[in-house]
Amino acid sequence: MSKIVAVHSYKGGTGKTLLSVNLAATFAKHGKQVCLFDLDFRAPSLFAILKVNNAEFWLNDYLNGKCDINKVIMDLSNNIGGTGNLFAALANPSTEAIREMSAKDRKWEMRALGRLLSLRNTLLNDQKFDYLVFDTSPGLQYSSINAIVTADFVVVATTGDRSDVDGTRRMLRELYNLFEKKTGLVMNKVLDPTSKSKRDEMDRRVKNVYQVPMLGLVPCFCEILRAEGNQIFVQDKPNHPFTKILDEMARKIENNEVN
Amino acid sequence: MTREDISSKKPLYVLEKIRENLERLNEKMEIMIELQRHGNKEIQPLNDAPLDVMTLLSMPDHLRKTAMTICRCGRATAEEVSEQTNRARAVESAYLNQLVIMGYLKKERKGRKAYFYADRDS
Repeated sequence: MSKIVAVHSYKGGTGKTLLSVNLAATFAKHGKQVCLFDLDFRAPSLFAILKVNNAEFWLNDYLNGKCDINKVIMDLSNNIGGTGNLFAALANPSTEAIREMSAKDRKWEMRALGRLLSLRNTLLNDQKFDYLVFDTSPGLQYSSINAIVTADFVVVATTGDRSDVDGTRRMLRELYNLFEKKTGLVMNKVLDPTSKSKRDEMDRRVKNVYQVPMLGLVPCFCEILRAEGNQIFVQDKPNHPFTKILDEMARKIENNEVN
Repeated sequence: MTREDISSKKPLYVLEKIRENLERLNEKMEIMIELQRHGNKEIQPLNDAPLDVMTLLSMPDHLRKTAMTICRCGRATAEEVSEQTNRARAVESAYLNQLVIMGYLKKERKGRKAYFYADRDS
């Protein structure tokens, strides 16, 4: 069963953070105990979306071995409905912290991998979290590959953009396959996916081009652009089609139905 | 413990030592067999090479599987690794020892068991 879910992509701007936040919030709405992690240390963004201006400890501190993970995770359950709980572990957005994280050596990255892997024991086994959702940085970077190695399931966000297709395909073959990771592809910002025949055609195309199962098809919604990242969309717009799509994606992962 | 006790335990002690030595001999033979099977070129001894994700990516598939299992477990015997990879214990023992020679893993004996781990602290 997939308990640690990493959201990754080849290129930036594919909607990883939007998907991570809303997937985590959807799991929580389904009554699960969830922790969302900002592993994009080069461009931290969850602190802004979740409106957390100050934190005593950041995820950087945990990976640096300066504190326990429980000092980092913060309870945001008040921000969501339902019976579940949403927690978050945020990356330090200060320029100094970004610079420091960019200059880590291979030994540090190996230790960071060990610390990420140990979250399975501390959070899933001991503290009974149901899901950990990793928002990662795009492409082949240490922090994102560490997240992929740790994860049980990788949500690959992509768009129809030509520059994204080849890279995503290569990454599927040369990264996720080598680590034997279960993957599901989310085709984001799709134009005009209204008819069933269009959706079926996209599904076939994804299977042909990427040779992985499709987790979801997300149309280009103006309302999401208008929200400007100021809200947890699935929480604020419970009846919006985007919320229903995320609901379906979360259910597929929960029921292990991504084939 | 009396003199008689010691002398009665001696044959048992000697047998235990013989068994330990045979196990070590067996491990060495497994490594030699693996070296012959895959050729020596992929086994380059290194000093304290970090077992990071880029190293994992560059490894041959059969070693990556073993190394990934140790990364996940933290510390494990060949038997424990074989339970997760569904490969024979002797095969895992050979791969683990290769990874030790390559400098990616450390090995520690506790009684009759040999534990393998990635040294993240040094």
